[in-house]
Amino acid sequence: MNFEQFQNQSRLYVIGALEPEEIEEFEKARQKFGKKAEDFIAKCYALHEAFALSLRPAKSSDAIKERLMAMVKAKKET
Amino acid sequence: MGLLSSGQDLSRGATGHLVLGLDVALGNRWTSSGAQIKTLNGIAGLDFSLILEFQSYMARLKLVSGGSRKKIIRAAKRRVGPLTTAPPLAPGAPTDFDLMKGIQAGDPDALSQLYDRYNGILKALILRVIHNEAEADDLLQEIFMEIWNQAKNFSPQKGKPLGWMVTLARRRAIDGLRKKQAYARAEERLQNETEQQPDAWVHNATEDEIILSDTRVLIRKVINSLPPAQQQAIDLAFFRGMSQREIAAKTNTPLGTVKTRLELGLKKIYDGLKDLRDEL
Repeated sequence: MNFEQFQNQSRLYVIGALEPEEIEEFEKARQKFGKKAEDFIAKCYALHEAFALSLRPAKSSDAIKERLMAMVKAKKET
Repeated sequence: MGLLSSGQDLSRGATGHLVLGLDVALGNRWTSSGAQIKTLNGIAGLDFSLILEFQSYMARLKLVSGGSRKKIIRAAKRRVGPLTTAPPLAPGAPTDFDLMKGIQAGDPDALSQLYDRYNGILKALILRVIHNEAEADDLLQEIFMEIWNQAKNFSPQKGKPLGWMVTLARRRAIDGLRKKQAYARAEERLQNETEQQPDAWVHNATEDEIILSDTRVLIRKVINSLPPAQQQAIDLAFFRGMSQREIAAKTNTPLGTVKTRLELGLKKIYDGLKDLRDEL
């Protein structure tokens, strides 16, 4: 796998769309390209943010935050 | 990390509608023609004054070069921030990284602030996957609890807090969807066996899932430049967590074609983002 192919695979990898048989080869290439590969994969996660941020924010119930903070407080106290 | 993460102003400012940023990226080579404005106009969250401002900005951009061009881009970038739905950071307000450090140190107030900043985005993402308000709320709470519990695993070297949270939220939402689908399949089998009310419940659930929501329309517009088949493949992969094989089966398309569609579509979006990052 050359680096261009690795880049294509990386974009699929970050959205979880690689097939199991592709993952093994991808991981080998990932090791082969080392830091360059890790840097590229990290950049690909910008796709996640882009897709998420393109959504219209949804309102959530105020009770959710109250429950969350109560749980956090309880956990912190234990 | 460029448009999506380079500056606190944009990365924070983008929390509501990075639609604009994405379109700026995708439209980096745009002129200020009516057709392009029409494209922008179709995007929810952008008012007409913004469109005119953007039009003016693009027109000016064409007339200048070098340092001046960069200054204009920076100025536009600053303007993007307040137009997003998340409140801009007040002077001296903690950055996302600061809040993550606080959470790692066990400060509930840091989690509270991070929740205020991003609950709308994460809820939208969850809702987009599971299409159920009550379940989305429950999941949102679980996800922020997981953020609290797993904060020690966050590393700034690997990316931004928002990226980490989105990845976590998407995974949880897709897990939830799969459980729901597994439950639906079990229900369907039961109904077939008993021959009572044939497939009514399951059928309705499936129909609900395919209704085009505002959110779906929005994401389709963001990636408007892609051919519909590529948009569909990306949508199924990202928001449904489908594998290439599942997409191929669902769309009755050869596996190789699905792979090509995903690769081309994602590359176009990635390159669109990258173009702007390089510009900035």
